[in-house]
Amino acid sequence: MSLDNRRDEFDVIIVGGGATGAGTARDCALRGLRVLLVERFDFAAGATGRNHGLLHSGARYAVTDGESASECIKENMILRKIASHCVEENDGLFISLPEDGLEYQAKFVAACQAAGIRADIIDPDEAKILEPSVNPEIIGVVRVPDGSVDPFRLTLANVIDAKEHGATVLVYHEVVELIKEFGKVIGVRVANHKTKTTHDYYAPLTVNAGGIWGHGIAAKAGVTVNMFPAKGSLLIFGHRVNNVVLNRCRKPANADILVPGDTICLIGTTSDRVGYDEVDDMRVTAEEVDILLSEGEKLAPALATTRVLRAYAGVRPLVAADNDPSGRSISRGIVLLDHATRDGVEGFATITGGKLMTYRLMAEWATDLACKKLGVDKKCTTMVDPLPGSRQNDDLAKGKSFLMTTEQKSSVHRHGELAAKIPSENIYDNSLVCECEDVTVGEVKYAIKELDVHNLVDLRRRTRVGMGTCQGELCACRAAGLLGEAHDCSQKAQKELANFLNERWKGTYPITWGETIRECEYTQWVYSGVCGMDKMF
Amino acid sequence: MKFDTIIIGGGLAGLTCGIQLQKSGKKCLIVSSGQSALHFSSGAFDLLTTLNDGTEVENAVEAVSKLDSNHPYSIIGSKFAHYAEEAKNLLNESGVAVVGSADKRAYKITPMGTMKPTWLSLADFSHFDNPTPFKGKKVALFSIAGFLDFNTKFVVDNIEATGATVKIINICLPEIERLRTSPTEMRSSNIAKVFQNENTLNALLSTLKCNTNGFDVVALPAVFGLFGPEPVKVIKEQIGTPVCLIPTMPPSVPGVRAQRQLRSAFERLGGTYMLGDTVVSTKVDGLKAKSLYTVNHVEEPLEADNFVLAAGSFFSNGLHATPYAIEEPIFGADVNFLEGRANWFDQNVFNKQNYMTFGVDVDSTFHIKKNGKSFENVYAIGSILSGFNPIYEGCGGGVSMLTALCVADNIK
Amino acid sequence: MNMQLNNISENNFEQCIKCTVCTVYCPVVPVNPNYPGPKQAGPDGERLRLKRGEFFDEALKYCLNCKRCEVACPSNVKIGDIIQKARIKYSAKKPSLRDIMLANTDFVGTMASAFSPIVNTTLGLKPVKAVLDGVLKIDKHRQFPKYSGEKFETWFKKHAMAEQDAYKNHLSFFHGCYINYNYPQLGKDFVNVLNALGYGVHLLDKEKCCGVALVSNGLINQARKQAVSNIESIRKSVLENHRPVVGASSTCIFTMRDEYPHLLDVDNSDVRDSIDLATRFVYRVINSGKVKLCFKKGPKQKIAYHTPCHMEKLGWGYYSTEVLRAIPTVDLTVLESQCCGIGGTYGFKKENYPTSQGIGASLFEQISNVNPDFVSTDCETCKWQIEMSTTYKVKHPISVLAEALDIEATKKLNK
Repeated sequence: MSLDNRRDEFDVIIVGGGATGAGTARDCALRGLRVLLVERFDFAAGATGRNHGLLHSGARYAVTDGESASECIKENMILRKIASHCVEENDGLFISLPEDGLEYQAKFVAACQAAGIRADIIDPDEAKILEPSVNPEIIGVVRVPDGSVDPFRLTLANVIDAKEHGATVLVYHEVVELIKEFGKVIGVRVANHKTKTTHDYYAPLTVNAGGIWGHGIAAKAGVTVNMFPAKGSLLIFGHRVNNVVLNRCRKPANADILVPGDTICLIGTTSDRVGYDEVDDMRVTAEEVDILLSEGEKLAPALATTRVLRAYAGVRPLVAADNDPSGRSISRGIVLLDHATRDGVEGFATITGGKLMTYRLMAEWATDLACKKLGVDKKCTTMVDPLPGSRQNDDLAKGKSFLMTTEQKSSVHRHGELAAKIPSENIYDNSLVCECEDVTVGEVKYAIKELDVHNLVDLRRRTRVGMGTCQGELCACRAAGLLGEAHDCSQKAQKELANFLNERWKGTYPITWGETIRECEYTQWVYSGVCGMDKMF
Repeated sequence: MKFDTIIIGGGLAGLTCGIQLQKSGKKCLIVSSGQSALHFSSGAFDLLTTLNDGTEVENAVEAVSKLDSNHPYSIIGSKFAHYAEEAKNLLNESGVAVVGSADKRAYKITPMGTMKPTWLSLADFSHFDNPTPFKGKKVALFSIAGFLDFNTKFVVDNIEATGATVKIINICLPEIERLRTSPTEMRSSNIAKVFQNENTLNALLSTLKCNTNGFDVVALPAVFGLFGPEPVKVIKEQIGTPVCLIPTMPPSVPGVRAQRQLRSAFERLGGTYMLGDTVVSTKVDGLKAKSLYTVNHVEEPLEADNFVLAAGSFFSNGLHATPYAIEEPIFGADVNFLEGRANWFDQNVFNKQNYMTFGVDVDSTFHIKKNGKSFENVYAIGSILSGFNPIYEGCGGGVSMLTALCVADNIK
Repeated sequence: MNMQLNNISENNFEQCIKCTVCTVYCPVVPVNPNYPGPKQAGPDGERLRLKRGEFFDEALKYCLNCKRCEVACPSNVKIGDIIQKARIKYSAKKPSLRDIMLANTDFVGTMASAFSPIVNTTLGLKPVKAVLDGVLKIDKHRQFPKYSGEKFETWFKKHAMAEQDAYKNHLSFFHGCYINYNYPQLGKDFVNVLNALGYGVHLLDKEKCCGVALVSNGLINQARKQAVSNIESIRKSVLENHRPVVGASSTCIFTMRDEYPHLLDVDNSDVRDSIDLATRFVYRVINSGKVKLCFKKGPKQKIAYHTPCHMEKLGWGYYSTEVLRAIPTVDLTVLESQCCGIGGTYGFKKENYPTSQGIGASLFEQISNVNPDFVSTDCETCKWQIEMSTTYKVKHPISVLAEALDIEATKKLNK
């Protein structure tokens, strides 16, 4: 292949496989651009997959950031339509406790209305019926159109659609260098993590959607994007305590949102500035756990008696604006930087800031810029085009049919109409790999074959394998076996199993007491004691 | 109800102690809150495979002097070898036929197909005196298609890595296919129940016989003999080639069987075993325990002269962890643990974990303590004890049995 | 702040650490692969059902409610309760006529006793069995327990009631449907034994069927009504008259003590500990040392004791076996505890018949290996199942005691 041919391969290279990168890849592909999406690890491995999974109504930002709030509610309504299989329309309550007072509530409701968010003050007794787990001490309640969104499914659906429209997607490929010619970025040098080789890809435009890691990517182009790495820790509880999102009606603070999502619910967050050296290996401290639990109990007292499954932390990719040490007053607004106009570096743009809720809008802005630069005149359609998985909306596609087994219902719940691709005619395929989350052999095979699964952690993001009560104790070995078969390498699969168990342990040990220490002892007994894996690697 | 000794916990430690006491004519009650951790054991019992500093142990009898003074084996002291021998005899007399000896390490095969040092192995499952028993051999590995808790590929890979050749042969029987109709219940114990049927076992045997020509070893997942040694015996008799049964992921068929055999040995000796009951309170006079109250027996006190705490570690609820402390819930006994949750765990799941060494504090005769003072008539045995790491040191089974025998002697 | 010091959720399902022990002891799984098993049907399924109710699986009906999973569980998870509660909460299937018939043991019993010669003959007739089998889906292999001509209550009022006030101690007898309609003799034995021990036996003001069959057949509202009525009568007996309530059937007693609060949300906490099982009551009376027993002389009897599932759950097998062991002529073998397969009305249903017999098979084998003179057990449905499936007779421990005791002599000793 001649250099010129290679230069003609792509119109746009997108760096980063989070929701924004995947969304941008999809939007670009839908508008006919030739797209390369490069991700260092796996889709949604960064901040995208490390948040509340809250389908924000925007109410949370209404008082402090009206613009973000109104973006949120618009995107909220769009996601309900285009990503129905990723969204649970749960509704949300903003509750005032005696210690909060009702002063904030009035300001809050007015701000919501100004941002176009429906916010109804309801009677505390009505709220208790609506969500029986809510703290009975509540003195005031506002109902808003919050919901839950599964960030893994959402990102994956964007990737699937981008690929359907011709995009090339590389995971476990890291951009090690931006290729520049006469001060212009003309492509990227990419290292393949598996083969340890590098390869150059060219395109007239490279879009940096690297989230918090975008800071480093921009640096490779010689431009500075000042990020503000703010660590947010969350706790996952063993089952759904609530079915309606619970928020504290007060100035945003620690642990004031409890979100139900799929089989679990989670509380967050804390907020602390961290150094860039920490962002690749975030660990939750005992102090953060204690804060989350003590505040969480105030939202739903049942949390005090509910088992905690794991703790995890993400880094908000906020763009630094001032010297606020907490990071909470920073705008969550979208930042699109055309480095040609900003820094005189042609062929390079950064899309950052924002949040999971506005990923689609961020993608739209970035794609608009790409189209403008490439001279393509096509309108964005992602606000109306349903994502793969959300294209059929009947009972069958929603898993409500009585003719389905619970396993089928679970897979439909996760994959929408794409669940039809899951092999199930063979009796072997119906066996459960993950019993907590109801994941069958067929679903695992489908994910390995079609959804870019390279290891067990990827598999978990696609299927929820290992996300349940036992955190992989029963299913990890089974899934590793299937991975070994599919990749025909059992040595690698055994290493993957060890990695996966360690990845689970990372989130488990900060909250290991009560039932969880029993579970951990059992898991370690099985894998180290019985299987001897402690001496294998 | 009045007994000579009440043992709280009916796993390996509790049953060993109970059997020994019944043999000496004491009337014992075992109260067990659910089935024990033997259900996940590998079908082998470890005595001591590694010292705390990582040194591998060839001869446990010699190595035991190098242990810390708070290790349960150090408390047992000079009678270590004696109790090790007694433990082996007790298992054999109770119908759990085992082979192995305390002064020489043996090996067991893991569900991954790797080898691990051990002490006693169930005689009819598999036992090895060296870590590469398959070297240069041709192995026929029979696997049950779609049985996810036995990872054929891993086993083959790891056995072949020691210089063997392995051929996989799939077993397909209608009775197994029927079981598979359930997406979840294709488990080792349920498969074992299917093979309890003579016709099914015979069908398996004919498959085995057709396919073992030219092989040195026949390997099978350990899914036989849940209720007794019969099916394994039949397989071994009918197949001329040496048979090796490889443990599966839980539940462990050999473990369940050992539990049943020990319980019935205890009951045959006249012991009373109450399963599914939980102690809720105790009546203690100073440092002397008088009686226990349980969920099932409500106001009917369970009285005894001596009490033995064999309630296990965290898994079996013998120890309870709050976010800040480790407690012993029944007597509120003194517990040895490190302050600060951060000190309980290592960030690598496969490294030595401190929490595994936590447990109740005992005196030189295994009496538990409260505020530093020994109880007169309450002992602790097995994994509820502190000062050892059952996984890292490979000593869980040994600590359970040897401390049980030592305490039984103290009570007698 | 009580931060996570005690994390116990409803029915403790969060305490499940997925150890799979329950699946080893479920009697249904090995014989009926359509049943998802206690782990999946219980705590695992519960998480899914909390996510969305449509994850309820109708196959939960195959659960026998034997509670052996709960007894085995090392984590104290109320697996059986989780499953039964899920059936109550989510099942969309309406109980069939057959289920209603089987469930209403006392109504059907009343009708049948009145016409017992006809009923006993008709239930035994081949064409009638064919109708039961084909139309009502009651398995044709099943023999209905014979209905007795004279109800226990009628006998009691006629022959025993008058003299009960003369005793120094008193108790109320919860006889249950089986004694009342099918086997008054056990009731008579109970009265004899307790009289001999110095206890006057009284009936409750109003006794309704304990409701166990209603619960398992999904007739929850009716079950709750009966539970409320029974607890009311029990309260009167215990709190006003200071008479404990004692019954001979392990299932009735288990249901009133534990299923009422757990499944039917009927609070019995003020009287629960005064609802007792006959053998436990007798054991405790004998063990108090305040009574003397006089046994008749006779040949040794070889007895095999079978622990019914609900007895195992109560944890009270010890009391029955100790009472039997107290009888000098008894040579007792305690069978390894396992389910007989009948599960109350479960085994009567055509679709469950093979499962039911499959479950019991190894128990029947155990019995024939022991080859006793007869089998003893505290549960009436176990008695039907064993008598139907083996050649051995089954007697309640109280009947064994009644036959062994010199009632009149014992009575005099304890006057």
